[in-house]
Amino acid sequence: MATRLQFENSCDVGVFSKLTNAYCLAAIGGSENFYSTFESELADVIPVVKTSIAGTRIIGRLCAGNKNGLLVPHNTTDQELQHLRNSLPDQVVVRRIEEKLSALGNCIACNDHVALTHTDLDKETEEIIADVLGVEVFRQTIAGNILVGSYCAFSNRGGLVHPHTSIEDLDELSTLLQVPLVAGTINRGSEVIAAGMTVNDWTAFCGSDTTATELSVIESVFKLREAQPSAIVDEMRKSLIDTCV
Amino acid sequence: MPRKPARHHRLLPVRPLTFSPFARSVARVATAYLVKHYMHNAVQQSAGDEFKEKLKIIGRRSESSEDEEFDGVVQADFAFFDPKPDDFHGVKTLLQSYLDNKQWDLSGFVDLILGQTTVGTVVKLEDDEDNGVFSIITALNLGRYKDHKCITELKEFLLNICHEKDKIGNLRSLLGDEAQKVGLLVSQCVVNLPPELLPPLYDALFDEISWATEDEPTEELRNSFRFKFYLVVSKFYKLNLQQKNANQKRSSSTDKDEAFLYIKPEDEILHKLSMWSFLFPLQTQQVATHELKNYQLTGIVMAVKAEDISSFRQQLHALINGS
Repeated sequence: MATRLQFENSCDVGVFSKLTNAYCLAAIGGSENFYSTFESELADVIPVVKTSIAGTRIIGRLCAGNKNGLLVPHNTTDQELQHLRNSLPDQVVVRRIEEKLSALGNCIACNDHVALTHTDLDKETEEIIADVLGVEVFRQTIAGNILVGSYCAFSNRGGLVHPHTSIEDLDELSTLLQVPLVAGTINRGSEVIAAGMTVNDWTAFCGSDTTATELSVIESVFKLREAQPSAIVDEMRKSLIDTCV
Repeated sequence: MPRKPARHHRLLPVRPLTFSPFARSVARVATAYLVKHYMHNAVQQSAGDEFKEKLKIIGRRSESSEDEEFDGVVQADFAFFDPKPDDFHGVKTLLQSYLDNKQWDLSGFVDLILGQTTVGTVVKLEDDEDNGVFSIITALNLGRYKDHKCITELKEFLLNICHEKDKIGNLRSLLGDEAQKVGLLVSQCVVNLPPELLPPLYDALFDEISWATEDEPTEELRNSFRFKFYLVVSKFYKLNLQQKNANQKRSSSTDKDEAFLYIKPEDEILHKLSMWSFLFPLQTQQVATHELKNYQLTGIVMAVKAEDISSFRQQLHALINGS
């Protein structure tokens, strides 16, 4: 199920949070509403951890992770690192990496099996990503943009990319990632997909400006709708209606 | 397609205000602009046309070999447009801190502004692919939109933050009984917008309001633009005497600081002309720069009578063009 929410009047929830299959990070300083929305959806399943990174609240754009690990930039403080190591499950490896491109969330997009990275990332960083996150790493661009982490969001079941991605690019990325991809927008026409939403295998959180159409696209590409009767009927309708020639 | 207005080229002589090379460059940029050609367009309004006015600011590059400290001379063609649904993200960003850090239906408020195409102006660059919004100005009738969630939340916010007992009665009547005659004046621009744009921007708004009283299709709409009062919600810097005394090392220095520092020049004129006004504290964290260390960012709500607007327009012209 996809949920709409806001962080202090901003619809960029992907900037202030990071959601994976094993944990969820939320920025401190927002109203309790923000944090409690995550808790109500996720509390029983995965831990929701309040944190800051490098003293800022833009944690979603500074770190990259999946169920195996979390990578944080070099300017993360020691206390923040310790707090993350204490609060996250033991199997999640938290690693601080020395990379000059410190907005890791903008440079790396990943799920539990594959990662797409910024073309100028260090070779060393690429190896650390493959090692800590347990993924296969591909250097890619999305619709000509090198900040792959900003312009796409994908989980193990589907992905949403920049609206101007060409069909050929879409097919190529889909083959690399092995998940169905769709080009679309978030938050009423915004192209910066990953800033406006955060997603894992069973739930997604989108900014409150997201229109109903955008939300239904998200729910269908990430396969968030459980087997609801209405979904089955709609999907079958195409085969039920015959065309008379 | 509309007729493009004839542009009259008239380069004003450069009058530098100080003797430093930097100030001379800034003065050169600020004084070289083309005279705008202003058109009255009832016809264009109904044709749904966007183009209303053009103001060109040209940065003159120095041909001489003298050391130009002011490196980034920017050429910008600003154009005034009617509000359109496409401007949603730009306008929303400008109005992000309109009601301090209160969580309210800002998207609904922006939709109201963009829905009112007859009164309201958006300043953008001409032929800009990014569709960046530099300024928004509009006037919303509080009575006409009283059922919208954003307006009820706004009224509630204003009534809650008003702690001055003598003003709250006035505020309540403006938001309640008199709401049909009150226009909420919303004006926000990016920090470095050239001030030369402000007089034509305000002129455009008040002219559109008076045209709307004649040109709107229904009697009800025409009446909704016959404003008697304007309500303005804004922010400025107020001198914080306690902080100043704590910061001052020498007790003998004279009080040279002004009581108020206005971020928007028109706020100073509106404050002087206002019937009444009250201040309210802001909760958002402020960045304290060295020059502003004695000042506190404060919110202000002002009510201005519609009759005083012509005086406001004159004073704004004098302030921007005279200085």
